[in-house]
Amino acid sequence: MPIHKYPRLALFAGLLALPCAAFLPAPTAEAAPPIVIGGTISETGPLAVDADYQIKGVKLAVADANAAGGWLGRKLELKLYDDKSSAGVADRLYERLITDDKVDLLIGPYSSGVTTGIAPLINKYQMATMEPGASDPSIYHSGNKWNIQGTASSLQYLDQLLPAAKDRGAKTVALLGLESAFTLACYHAREAQAKELGMKIVYQTTYSLPQPDFSSIALAVKNANPDVVVACTYYPDAVGITRSLHEQGFAPKFLGETVGPVEAPFTKAVGPLANRLVTNTGWWSNFKTPDNQGFIERYKAMFHQDPDYHAATGYAAIQVLGAAVKATNSLDQAKIRDWLLSHTVDTIQGTFKVNENGLSLGYVQDLLQIQDGVLKLVYPTANAEATLQFPYTGS
Amino acid sequence: MLALQILVNGLLLGGLYVLIAQSLNLIFGVMGVVNLAHGAFIVVAGLFTYWFASSTGINPLAVLPFVFIVMALVGAGLQPLLIEPLMKMGRSKAELLSLMVTFGLDYVLVELALQVWGSSFVSVPYLQSSWKLAGLDFSQALVVTGMFAALVSALLYWWLNRTDSGKSLLAASQSETGAICCGIDVKRVRMLAFALGVALAAAAGVLVIIVEALAPQTADDLTLLAFVIIALGGLGSYVGVAVAALLLGVAQSITGYFVGGNAEYVLPYVLLILVMVALPGRFRRA
Repeated sequence: MPIHKYPRLALFAGLLALPCAAFLPAPTAEAAPPIVIGGTISETGPLAVDADYQIKGVKLAVADANAAGGWLGRKLELKLYDDKSSAGVADRLYERLITDDKVDLLIGPYSSGVTTGIAPLINKYQMATMEPGASDPSIYHSGNKWNIQGTASSLQYLDQLLPAAKDRGAKTVALLGLESAFTLACYHAREAQAKELGMKIVYQTTYSLPQPDFSSIALAVKNANPDVVVACTYYPDAVGITRSLHEQGFAPKFLGETVGPVEAPFTKAVGPLANRLVTNTGWWSNFKTPDNQGFIERYKAMFHQDPDYHAATGYAAIQVLGAAVKATNSLDQAKIRDWLLSHTVDTIQGTFKVNENGLSLGYVQDLLQIQDGVLKLVYPTANAEATLQFPYTGS
Repeated sequence: MLALQILVNGLLLGGLYVLIAQSLNLIFGVMGVVNLAHGAFIVVAGLFTYWFASSTGINPLAVLPFVFIVMALVGAGLQPLLIEPLMKMGRSKAELLSLMVTFGLDYVLVELALQVWGSSFVSVPYLQSSWKLAGLDFSQALVVTGMFAALVSALLYWWLNRTDSGKSLLAASQSETGAICCGIDVKRVRMLAFALGVALAAAAGVLVIIVEALAPQTADDLTLLAFVIIALGGLGSYVGVAVAALLLGVAQSITGYFVGGNAEYVLPYVLLILVMVALPGRFRRA
């Protein structure tokens, strides 16, 4: 019985349907399928502790985005796998996320090493991927434009130390660098910076881990007698160099080390030797960035711990990705990538901005100094919690 | 003066190497067991020491007797379960199979340590200064480590050569059949050697954590280093290993000062290759 042949019946049915429709659920965001963001995280293996902070930042950002209604009217959902701190495992898992799970968006893993392993795959499948845990600048080159750096580059690590030291009369520098892509980038950047500033490099060497003893390097540094020692380190060598310099009876006017001193166990590990030691961070609790205090409060409420810079980079990466999705009103990877390469986003860790290859230009690495066992932001001075104290005493 | 300081630094580093290598040497020398879990025992003891010292505030060296005894019991318990059954298959097969079993044990211990202590590097802020003598700096931590290593080496030498139980152990390592004919209980001797080796490795861990930062994932690096040292010194030769460890420390100190950190790092492995090529018989039990 075709209804159009009976117009009065059709009108009656329509009128009846109107009040019924009021009781049906409205077509809201819940009805649409969620946007799935896939990624791996090092739940196990040597990177697990730092990676845990990063993924908690990501989870908080996703929860915040969902509380605000999601993106494109759709809720967000995370699909995460454990990469066991291995680039090889991560590579297989990202392929699974892209080809089997067919996630809508990707978020990068933790650490430069693991990210280096997956970068060619990201490029092959042309997925615009925010990389919150990879500071190694060598990942972001012209043939690798689908990886977008979501943290400050290691070229910027300790970049405020040498100018600050020079302002205080320092003239000579010793450079130490661990043989890894991330720390070597820092090492060569500081080498070039010292030359630009007209500071004389009186000793420099690179080394590999495991290095059970740094006494020969420390002795060589002592004999060169530099005003500033810049060490591009991870945690174990930061501890080793700090202790060995003290054992050889040498304290430069300024001692700066990259990764290590910012981690809580460092001060316990070297005790008073940490006092007046300088390090760097891409995020700090007193950053006057939009919603930074709100981020700290919500993070503490959700995870019952204080956030660190890994958590902030994870959070900011989702903030940036969300800005790109909303601005392009799409999940099209090419549109998202092009937008990310050409726009800035204000995040809790500063202003996101990258060059044409995805290398970070916007985020900064500010200087922290351990003063009486407490990390304090000392540079830039506009944002400082304390003034830079010198000389480093080594005790 | 500079040359003397380089020599002192090298000898002190060598003392640490003696400590790391001697216990592995004992287990291999007596039993022919390639203990790939050696570094894991060092790391577990080191991390326990860190936990003990940081939670109680008590001197970390106070834990040494406790760790030694507990780990000796652990070793005595593990040996009959994991190692002794392999010994029935003949020495050459046992050497290969023990490699696999201890590899598995290493993996289990490292993962357990990761679960208990996490993956962060930790160290104990103890004896961080140096003693000054005749214008030279002597790292306090390395001096204590070196003295302990010397004591362990001397006691081992005395025990193996001057006591009945030690001579039984040496006899069993030279000829199992001969030892049985002489009435030696070789099973008991093997258990004793493994328990002592594990206990000494753990004692080394207590001292290593005050010298350098440790994390569970550093276990294999320590095992590799210990193997290089005993290969250079001659497997099963306690004096040879002690001399090799000291010479290696001095060679690394000289290289590190004059050439740099990377050369210092690679030196033990270059020396190992050279020794293997020049003296291929070196990797046999002395």
